[in-house]
Amino acid sequence: MASVKLNNIKKRFGNVDVLHGIDLDIKDGEFVVLIGESGCGKSTLLRLLSGLEDISEGDLYIDDERVNGRSPAKRGIAMVFQSYALYPHMNVFKNMAFGLKIAGKDKHHVTEKVIEAAKKLKIDHLLDRLPRELSGGQRQRVAIGRAIVRDPKVFLFDEPLSNLDASLRVQTRVELGKLHQELKSTVIYVTHDQVEAMTLGDKIVVMNKGRVEQVGAPLDLYHHPKTQFVAGFIGSPKMNFLPAKIHHADPENTQLVLESGRIIHASIDSSALQKGDAVQIGLRPEHMSLDCTDNRFEGTVTLLEHLGELSYLYVDMGQEGELVLKVDGDNHHQAGDHIQFGIKPTHLYLFDRDGKALNRVNAHLSPATPL
Amino acid sequence: MHYILRYVMTSSNQHDEKKPFPWHLVFFLGPGLLIYVVFSVYPLLDTLFLSLYDEQNGQSSFVGLQNFITLITDETWSQAFWNALVNNFKFFAIHMLLQNPIGLILAVLLSSPKLRLSSTYRTLIFMPTMLSVVIVGFVWQLLLSPLWGISENFLYDIGLGQYFDAWLGKEGSALITLGFISVWQFVGIPMMLIYATLLNIPDDIIDASVVDGANSFQTFWHIKLPLILPTIAMVSILTFVANFNAFELIYAVKGALAGPNFSTDLMGTFFYRTFFGFQLQQGSASMGAAVATLMFLIILVGVMLFLFFIQRRIQRFQF
Amino acid sequence: MNLINRFMPSNGYRQLPKSVTVHAVLLAYTVIALFPILVVVINSFKERRAIFRDPLGLPTQDSFTLIGFEQVLQRSDFGLYSWNSLVVTIIAVGLVLLLGAMAAWALTEYKFKGNLFITFLFAMGIMIPIRLGTVSILGLMVNLNLVNTLTALVLVYIAQGLPLAVYILSEFVRTIPKELTEAARCDSVSEYKIFFCIILPLLKPAMATVAVFTMIPIWNDLWFPLILAPGESTRTITLGVQQFVGQYVTDWNSVLSALTMAIVPVLILYTIFSRQLIRGLTSGAVK
Repeated sequence: MASVKLNNIKKRFGNVDVLHGIDLDIKDGEFVVLIGESGCGKSTLLRLLSGLEDISEGDLYIDDERVNGRSPAKRGIAMVFQSYALYPHMNVFKNMAFGLKIAGKDKHHVTEKVIEAAKKLKIDHLLDRLPRELSGGQRQRVAIGRAIVRDPKVFLFDEPLSNLDASLRVQTRVELGKLHQELKSTVIYVTHDQVEAMTLGDKIVVMNKGRVEQVGAPLDLYHHPKTQFVAGFIGSPKMNFLPAKIHHADPENTQLVLESGRIIHASIDSSALQKGDAVQIGLRPEHMSLDCTDNRFEGTVTLLEHLGELSYLYVDMGQEGELVLKVDGDNHHQAGDHIQFGIKPTHLYLFDRDGKALNRVNAHLSPATPL
Repeated sequence: MHYILRYVMTSSNQHDEKKPFPWHLVFFLGPGLLIYVVFSVYPLLDTLFLSLYDEQNGQSSFVGLQNFITLITDETWSQAFWNALVNNFKFFAIHMLLQNPIGLILAVLLSSPKLRLSSTYRTLIFMPTMLSVVIVGFVWQLLLSPLWGISENFLYDIGLGQYFDAWLGKEGSALITLGFISVWQFVGIPMMLIYATLLNIPDDIIDASVVDGANSFQTFWHIKLPLILPTIAMVSILTFVANFNAFELIYAVKGALAGPNFSTDLMGTFFYRTFFGFQLQQGSASMGAAVATLMFLIILVGVMLFLFFIQRRIQRFQF
Repeated sequence: MNLINRFMPSNGYRQLPKSVTVHAVLLAYTVIALFPILVVVINSFKERRAIFRDPLGLPTQDSFTLIGFEQVLQRSDFGLYSWNSLVVTIIAVGLVLLLGAMAAWALTEYKFKGNLFITFLFAMGIMIPIRLGTVSILGLMVNLNLVNTLTALVLVYIAQGLPLAVYILSEFVRTIPKELTEAARCDSVSEYKIFFCIILPLLKPAMATVAVFTMIPIWNDLWFPLILAPGESTRTITLGVQQFVGQYVTDWNSVLSALTMAIVPVLILYTIFSRQLIRGLTSGAVK
């Protein structure tokens, strides 16, 4: 069990900068999820942490010890790979025992450790099998088991669920969560799936183009995204954005004007901006409602997606743009319907030119938890 | 051919009376199969039969296994036969001891991560493999010739001059030297095949062993080597077949007599002499066929051993 | 400094000694592989005296000569030998590819009795060298009146090349999605058209690999030219060089030039096709 501290970590491949200075504090026992689109540097960061790649610049501390340049095993980390990376010529037992054997642990101890871990993961009946004789889910467990037996200070997971089918993914996700609660170990987990991030993480690190975009608890990121990128990344369907201009800048009640000339009221501090500045309004699909009388919009339904308990309405609002609404599953709308809907001023988000979020006033849900 | 067509006909008749005769099958398979059967399968089988006959004075008569008994026991034949067979095993041993280990080392070095110029090395080291064995034989004959003295001078330059000898001309060293030459030429094949297998091992598996704490030697020994064993086994059987079939190198460098004093005689050259004759001995098709049959059996046994013991035990790995 | 940078991986310094060792070993072996060939090629352009006095030196203005090549061309018909090799190789490889592709297609696409047997028959040919049937092949060629013709060589080489071609191409045909042919059959396209218009173009990359693998042993073969077509007019380049060197073994200029003339075209072709060949070798087509 250990804390991990990253201090201005940079990575260059040749002349290409991949990571531009990452700072991160991970507490003992924390489950941290690195999330971002492919190519954002999250997997590279994980490989730097593991010691498989050298850190170009910056300091990495595990338990307050600087571990740059130390080999993976000496850092006390264990890694679960996306492909599982099981040794194809070794049976499950040997796969799990390999690290301990290399470390020169005595046979008795190794056997005990492996069997204990196998029981915990319910794969103790598979110890004689070769990886190719296992199902995807079983391989996944063996890969986790191989990490557990070494009692690492930090677990690194590289998209461990992405090779599983949908139902197995949900099940394994739940089990991973339970396993973490049981082991109480520090976990760093890379994924591109926001559901995994929201459900598993104590803390989520959103990465974009080699930088940390925002760090926070799952609900923090949802309620208080600091940038348009984070706002668009967390939430499903993703947040709608409409281009607009400041009509009246104000520290509390900002007025915005859409392309069509429609005026929108938002409880946002826009005192730093001036009338006429271009901004993006963010509207979450779940915050718009047909009954709400504030900020009325109107448009034509172009498509409906019924998910059972709720439906997604795709609405065309002419020159104002297009929106997705999340509405109750019991609605009777049809494509082509003309509908009206509204959104409370406190529910709106506003992003300036550079994609930075403006402060929301009285954001009526939980305040940002300080990190 | 005929019974194959009949097979085709009966099978299609069973399934559907009205189905027309599958001419397209004859069209696609016929020409290739015909040439292969007439010029490869039939001659091989015919050779096996021929080895049971004696053809003298234009008369051929069935003699059963007499040709083989002559080969193995008759004094004029058996000495040459056993000599060639033993030499051939030595020749094979030289390849196994040198060609495959060197190929393995080169392949491992070539596959080191982030190695610059790796494809250039690969292309250049493979170059001799492309040349005709005959040409390679002559090239080395010139290089090792005491007349020219290139090798001798080279050895003096590195301080080993007193060890130089006309290796190709001495009974004791000629076969080993030819073995070295052949290894020099063909080391590219094990190198390339092992290299390909190494490339196919996913990086993740190597990474996993690094994370598990293995150093590069342990990673090689515990992970890579077991995974390339099937390739090494396959290279070995390819080498076996090629060695027991070798002829050109000996013929080019030492002629059909495989001198000095038959010390470089292999099954291939022995077969050639038996079939076409040499000096005072007349060539004999049936004795030639008998030698070829023995070569066939040796190769067959080798391949079978490979298929049933090695191939079955060493599984291929799907990644 | 520049040199060090070139040979150092990006995260350098720690790995420097190891990567230098790797390069040293590979470079040393590359020299071992190329040195004999280079010595022969270089000396073929030198005068006899220079060949002996300074075998490792490059030809200078004084020692440069083409006399060896002139003598080779005078004393033997190298042009004809090369032409014979070229004709035999091209026709044999072309037919191996075509017939091999057709057979591979038939054996993988159609189910019929005897399919397994024929597949096995071809598979045997990969391991059992055709050379062992030489006694009968010669008899057969005598009966067919084909001794000392290029046709004899072409026929034997087709038989020699087909097994591996059928094997590699069958593996490849198996990777072609069934939907392609099924869609065509639904449109009642004939089996012939399906093969020639759909399958054959798809097989091109695999056929390139097969071509290289088939070509090398044919071009380099000595055994069958020596036995089936030793006559002056049907001699292939390999046989021609072997006979020439045997005959003029003491004329160093000629011998070196003859070897150079046999080596250089192959190396040029190799350089052109090496990418293809190595891709074929490493793609697992011959595993």
